[in-house]
Amino acid sequence: MNIPLPSQAAAGPPVKLKGLTPPVRNEPGTDQPLPAPPPAAWPVPEFGALYEEHSRPIYYLTLRFLADPQKAEDATHDVFLKAFRRLDQFRGEASIRTWLYRIAINHCQNLRQSWQNRNIQTSADDALWEGAAAGTDSPLQALETKELGQRILTALDALPDEYSLLLLLVADEELSYEEVAALLDQSTDAVRGKLHRARKAFAVQFAKTA
Amino acid sequence: MKQETKLSQKQEPLAEQTAEAQTVREFASTEEVLRTDAAQTTVPPEIGERLKKSAARIRPPEARPWWKNLLGR
Repeated sequence: MNIPLPSQAAAGPPVKLKGLTPPVRNEPGTDQPLPAPPPAAWPVPEFGALYEEHSRPIYYLTLRFLADPQKAEDATHDVFLKAFRRLDQFRGEASIRTWLYRIAINHCQNLRQSWQNRNIQTSADDALWEGAAAGTDSPLQALETKELGQRILTALDALPDEYSLLLLLVADEELSYEEVAALLDQSTDAVRGKLHRARKAFAVQFAKTA
Repeated sequence: MKQETKLSQKQEPLAEQTAEAQTVREFASTEEVLRTDAAQTTVPPEIGERLKKSAARIRPPEARPWWKNLLGR
């Protein structure tokens, strides 16, 4: 994907200040209100396309690795904002997906390290889980998501971080073992060996959650 | 690996659904469990809206000088 630098893009629409609601205006000569303004546009349209294509895997990684939907939202926002700022540093040596994963992994590991340093226990309560299921069609679907998601979270929580990260990355079919190995700064052989152990450990923990 | 999770087939009515039809889904691998979960996960639209505003506020980075590209620095 050829992405122009933000500086090369046309200026976007003016930024609306958060919390300021414009007054409702009516069509001239009628009582009909004007149509709602269109949603904000991306300052760089190509970056919007990048976000649409890669936001789900990045959000999913943060959601399951950080185990907190609100933190995952913040992390996903921050990861893509970092990517936006650093678009000029993307050299094309790796795929965009791999580059985004690298930013996400560093961001999540820094967050987790910071929590551990402060000895803060993070846990996802039911209200936050409902937020993670936003956009689903029915409460039942949300419950499904919640059940499977909670079981996965419980299982991943019992594993070393390294195993959790490895499993989450390997589950992305767009990543090769070589790319996963590069993201984890390990050899491909080491990744294969650890993956075997990680799968076994996950299976045991997942079965316990049934 | 064969793991089980209960997934419902129907969506309505909710009361009947919870009382009756629940299927047991078998997963062939850990990856399939995670892929199923990922497919069920929806990215909250608030992230994109927030990101648009944040990206519009930041000053775009300077374009990389041509000589840095040439020298690889």
